[in-house]
Amino acid sequence: MKLLGIFRFEFAYQVRRLSTWLPFAALAVVAFLFIRENVVTDALYADFYLNSPYIIAVATVFCGLFWLLVAAGVAGEIAARDVETGMHPLTYTAPVRKAEYLGGRFLAVLAINALILLAVPLGVVLAVYASGVDAQIIGPFRPAAYLTAFAFLALPNAFLGAAVQFAWATLGRRSVASYVGSVMLFGVVYGGIFAVMYFLENQALAVLLDAFAHLTIVDMTLGWTPIEKSTRLIGLEGALLRSRLLWFGIAVAALAFTWARFRFEHLAVRPWWSRFLRRRDAHAPTPAGGELARGPISVPRVPQTFGWATRARQVMDIAWTSFRVIARSRGGLIVTVPMAVIAVMVLPEHMQDQGTPLLPRTEYVLSFLTASLTNPFTVWVIIPMLTLLWGGELVWREREAGLGEITDAAPVPEWVPFLGKFLGLGGVLAVWMAVLMMIGILIQLSLDYHRFEMGLYVKVLFGLQLPQYLLFAALALVVQGLVSQKYVGHFAALIVYAFILFAGQLGIGHKLLVYGAAPDWYYTDMRGFGPSLGPWRWFMLYWAAWALLLAVVARLLWVRGLERGARVRLRLARGRFTRGTIVFGAAAAGLVLGLGGFIFYNTNVLNTYRSAAGVLEVRAEYERRYGRYADVPQPRLAEAQLRVDIHPRRRAAEIRGTYHLVNNTAAPIGTIHLAPAPSVRTTAVTFDRPARRVNAEDGLWHHVYALGTPLQPGDSLRLSFTVHHAPRGFRNGAFDPVLSVTEASTYFRSQDVLPAIGYQAARELLKPGERRANGLAARALVPTLADAEAGQDITGQSMSTRERIAFEAVIGTDADQVAVAPGTLRRAWTEGGRRYFHYATEARIGSYSFFSARYAVHEERWTPAGGGEPVTIQVYHHPAHAANLQRMLRSVRASLDYNTRAFGPYPHGPVIRLVENPGRGMGAHAEATTIDYTEGFSRYNPGGDPRGLDMPFAVIAHEMAHQWQVPHAYAEGAPLLSESFAWYAAMGAVEETYGREHLERLRRFFRQPGPIPPIRQSAPLLRALDPYAAYRKGPSALFAMSEYMGEQRVNLAFRRVIEPHRTASLPGATSMDLYRELQAVTPDSLRYLLQDLFAANTFWELATERASAKQTAAGAWEVTLRIKARKVTVDPAGKETEVAMDEWIPVGVFAPTGQGADFGETLYLRSHRIRSGPQTLTVTVPKRPSDAGIDPYLLLIDLERFDNVEEVEIEG
Amino acid sequence: MELQIRDVSKTYPNGVQALKDVTLTIPAGMYGLLGPNGAGKSTLMRILATLQEPDAGTIHLGDLDVVRQKDAVRQTLGYLPQEFGVYPRVNAEELLSHFALLKGIGERRARKEVVEALLRQTNLWEVRRQKLGGYSGGMRQRFGVAVALLGNPKLLIVDEPTAGLDPAERVRFLNLLSALGENSAVILSTHIVEDVSELCTRMAIIDRGEILLEAEPLGAIDEMKGRIWRSVIDKGALDGVEREHAVISTRLLGGRTVVNVYGGTHPGAGWEPAEPDLKDVYFSTMAGHIGRRRGQLEVAA
Repeated sequence: MKLLGIFRFEFAYQVRRLSTWLPFAALAVVAFLFIRENVVTDALYADFYLNSPYIIAVATVFCGLFWLLVAAGVAGEIAARDVETGMHPLTYTAPVRKAEYLGGRFLAVLAINALILLAVPLGVVLAVYASGVDAQIIGPFRPAAYLTAFAFLALPNAFLGAAVQFAWATLGRRSVASYVGSVMLFGVVYGGIFAVMYFLENQALAVLLDAFAHLTIVDMTLGWTPIEKSTRLIGLEGALLRSRLLWFGIAVAALAFTWARFRFEHLAVRPWWSRFLRRRDAHAPTPAGGELARGPISVPRVPQTFGWATRARQVMDIAWTSFRVIARSRGGLIVTVPMAVIAVMVLPEHMQDQGTPLLPRTEYVLSFLTASLTNPFTVWVIIPMLTLLWGGELVWREREAGLGEITDAAPVPEWVPFLGKFLGLGGVLAVWMAVLMMIGILIQLSLDYHRFEMGLYVKVLFGLQLPQYLLFAALALVVQGLVSQKYVGHFAALIVYAFILFAGQLGIGHKLLVYGAAPDWYYTDMRGFGPSLGPWRWFMLYWAAWALLLAVVARLLWVRGLERGARVRLRLARGRFTRGTIVFGAAAAGLVLGLGGFIFYNTNVLNTYRSAAGVLEVRAEYERRYGRYADVPQPRLAEAQLRVDIHPRRRAAEIRGTYHLVNNTAAPIGTIHLAPAPSVRTTAVTFDRPARRVNAEDGLWHHVYALGTPLQPGDSLRLSFTVHHAPRGFRNGAFDPVLSVTEASTYFRSQDVLPAIGYQAARELLKPGERRANGLAARALVPTLADAEAGQDITGQSMSTRERIAFEAVIGTDADQVAVAPGTLRRAWTEGGRRYFHYATEARIGSYSFFSARYAVHEERWTPAGGGEPVTIQVYHHPAHAANLQRMLRSVRASLDYNTRAFGPYPHGPVIRLVENPGRGMGAHAEATTIDYTEGFSRYNPGGDPRGLDMPFAVIAHEMAHQWQVPHAYAEGAPLLSESFAWYAAMGAVEETYGREHLERLRRFFRQPGPIPPIRQSAPLLRALDPYAAYRKGPSALFAMSEYMGEQRVNLAFRRVIEPHRTASLPGATSMDLYRELQAVTPDSLRYLLQDLFAANTFWELATERASAKQTAAGAWEVTLRIKARKVTVDPAGKETEVAMDEWIPVGVFAPTGQGADFGETLYLRSHRIRSGPQTLTVTVPKRPSDAGIDPYLLLIDLERFDNVEEVEIEG
Repeated sequence: MELQIRDVSKTYPNGVQALKDVTLTIPAGMYGLLGPNGAGKSTLMRILATLQEPDAGTIHLGDLDVVRQKDAVRQTLGYLPQEFGVYPRVNAEELLSHFALLKGIGERRARKEVVEALLRQTNLWEVRRQKLGGYSGGMRQRFGVAVALLGNPKLLIVDEPTAGLDPAERVRFLNLLSALGENSAVILSTHIVEDVSELCTRMAIIDRGEILLEAEPLGAIDEMKGRIWRSVIDKGALDGVEREHAVISTRLLGGRTVVNVYGGTHPGAGWEPAEPDLKDVYFSTMAGHIGRRRGQLEVAA
């Protein structure tokens, strides 16, 4: 068997080679890191085994993607080695058939790749069993888990990948073509998935297209319980089997095509299509070349010069040639064309939030087109990847063409080709940036947006993004230039890049240690670049100095001539130590040291630098040392008087504050525990009575003061302090968005700057894994409902839930800015070139924020319908961001109307403010009297929403409802009183303004699996904390109750919960308080439903199996529904218990639908008594029905939302 | 300018000693380096072309130290490697111009002039716009010569230039080389004796890294006069002849074997004196009858 012979030879040859074992090692390392870095904490947190089949499958899929790239060389080498080494005249003429030749080699490709992929289980096993893993998350060793993942996931992926790589390299006759094949496969698969998901919104088709089973595994296991995730094996069935079969077929087709196209022929120089392009050239006769000149050769004597001018010309010549080589190569600039087409087609679809389109402002479009070099989670990793490939091609160009000896013997110093190639590569990258700019403008055009900020495009793409890529290009060339074997060079460069990408995960957080890293810059319309560019520039200069130093190293060790041994190259390097090199190298080293020192001085001396682990350690130490004071009685903060001075130009702020503390306990208090905010400097802490600090300063932000005379029960004391915030140089981390004082705008929250009273449990470590790693005992995420019911003090448990206080502040800022704080504006004045604002609250408030910027202010007045105090509505916004102003105002007015009627008067006095807040996020956030929304919110473009849903209106209505929310305890079930309530109330405002149909649009959005996917295994709403319960299930449950028994009753229950807190300062309300009030208003017949919705985690499984109708003699229509009903409760571990059903559920019959609506005219809608199991109902309707079903408006919690209503089959 | 090679040795990492204490003096003119495949010719040539490092020994080109002052040497060096490739999609004019720039001919007009002159001299002017990928072996070799000639090198190193050329092209190529020898020191390495005898004023024979003979071809042939004897025998008789005489070469002629033997005296009946040529010098040297190996053989005997 020749095929077997060829296979055996190839396999034996490859298995001895380094190029096989390097990817093997890399894959093992990646698998190891994947498990250790990503899964260990998840496993600790989510209670499944580290070595569960699920995790092994996920690791296999993830590593498979990595394999596609790092191991592509194997297929390329086997497929194209004969041609590349010039062996093909021998092998092609051997008496071997195509099928044997290709088959044997492909089998070898497959076998070697299977061998390489064995590194994945090896890495997983090492990660699981090597020391350092908590033994309790390691499950039993199950060979089947590894075998199924290998057989069902790794091998099919390898077959497909190898087939494509092999086909590309065989037909392209170049080994590097296999990489191109890999990249193309990756692009086609993910581009296809992307397109199908976003254009067709067809998840099933997307899963089918998922060649690497990446999406499929996620999709398959989404609904798995922790127990299933720990134990269930991945089976080759369903969607997985279908997509595996499809892609197996495609791989076989690729191989068949390769077999059909392949010829045992000598390599023609030109590709086949050039025959059509350059006929003249192709058929030109080859002149034989006549007799040579007889006499002496006479070459004109022209001067040879080796000065700077010549060097510059040489560099430019090499740069231009290099640029052209990449630009014209198959994997070169041509790839920007499909990329641009895809980007222009796909990205606009992405420019939406929660389904609402966003205005493609330039700063926003740029956020899609740029990415930090160190960010692995972006499609733009393709640029550094291609840079690696191109760098290799350029460095090896002469040697691969066989011109290496001639060029190496030319009188050109090593730095000339290095610099030339670098500039050529840089030119290509610059063209990329231009293409990206064009993509951005085309996207804006396609969305009918015409404010192109060209200056911003140029600055960001060419001024900020390009330098990072250039640094990387220099690195790629250096690595390739130092390594004397091309694929080892690719590989080494890839490892270096992987290090850059994953340094953070490896625990290397300081940006001085990761090539090309810098604190991220940011840009928003309001803030501009702010202070983010300064540090970024310093880091870039520092890395540029490194690049120079690397270039010097490259010059010294550049592979030139035929010597490859390390010792000889070092000797050669000694010969290359010219004066210029020494001076240049010393200058570069000096710059590295100088700039590095300067940066270090800023990040580690002026500021404190802590690694990620260091930060956790400090928090752990805080708990260890001061946790014992958690239950020490402390006075409560009742009043805060602040003088806030903001100095935008200095980026500084100073707060002088006085706290009014009251002893509400029954015993005297002798010590005060003060917790200053970690991100600022707190000084001048004084009391209105003798007191002294009794603990030494330990950098843990906990001060203990002993009072000269204890504070008696009911007595109060005054505590004064000064808080300073001023930038000291710059930090290693990104610019701190929670405490942002910049020239253009200021925003900070009370909890981030002001001292708190007592031990702050909120500063403790939360994640079980982090606690365990730091030797701390497990703790509950939040206090239990039972604790809260018992009236436990929850101050300090959460950053945002603090005691409710009376607040007064004078806030000063620059004359051209407006400063905002909570409460009524008592007075505003200008003094000494600064503006001052005096605010005071009417009612007690919780946490609060300060703002200052050059705001445009809109103001209007709202008067309650039934008379009462008018409310002033103010909107502070960036002057250019007024697009949604009217929409937001309409929402505020509607909310004031609805909530006042439903829950009582607006509780915070005569003003409500909407304040735009600088930053990239989309969110809005409510505090007493103030709703702040990030700049992104002003990008909403609901006019273009295909669903016709006014999302900004709904979100503002939600935030408005928070103004009425009852002060609640920070405990289990709290989201029911805050987020669920706010959405429930917002639904009322939406319905009142836009009608029932619009409300249904909003409810339909709530039922979508994104952005908040359903969570089945959870606690009942009364104790739940997860986002699904808070934002989706809670509002739905409240809405269901309001539909079953009337909105008035539910609102009344809330009103009764809220009312007592209006006047008195009571302990925070709990979900039980609400439940009791709901019980009070619920008729006995519906108590079961209240219990099902709130006190149990209940899911209904209602389905209409068949709906049919026939016309009666009287002309009416008799509709028969075959229904299946089931009800289960699910506990947090995922255990399901079926509950018998016997309850009233609406049944509806509808006429044919009009445009866009769910249903047509309602022909019938009445509750029926439904029991568990299959059952049949018959109703009569006057008109010809179109749709019929059970619970048509999905009032009950039913995760399968498409089977409730079916089309009616007309009989007879 | 004279090239002085003193005691140069080179051993490869795999243990093969490619050069052993090579000492040569190479004056201006054509210098032939003759030896069988694997003799160390290419290693020596690459060392001279600054592409490899000798383990020991010194090489001087005039005042220049070839090992240490590589950059200076490269400025006056022309090098035609034994094997080289081209960028298949670039035309001759472009690539030659590129190399001209690398050789320091920065000024555009001068470069154009030189490129044109060299392409005409090497008879590639007509095909200057053709992609190099379509060139025949001979055309490519001539292109290599054009590259080597850029910048009027003082030292021209030509490694096995006639290998792979057809007879007509070989003749043309040798003509070209002979014209070159008038301007600079040209070192021609080859395993074809005729190349040397037709062109070179001086030569050296190298085998297994050692210089066996350094001589002027004509003088060496002169010295062989009266020492080479020829006989035409049957194939079967060769074994006997080899036992009795110092056979230096055999060749077939019309089905019979022509044997050349080395000897100071007439070997006997059936032998006639032969007019020696360079081949006889070469084979006698390789067989150890003359040159450096002679003494070694005697010692061994």
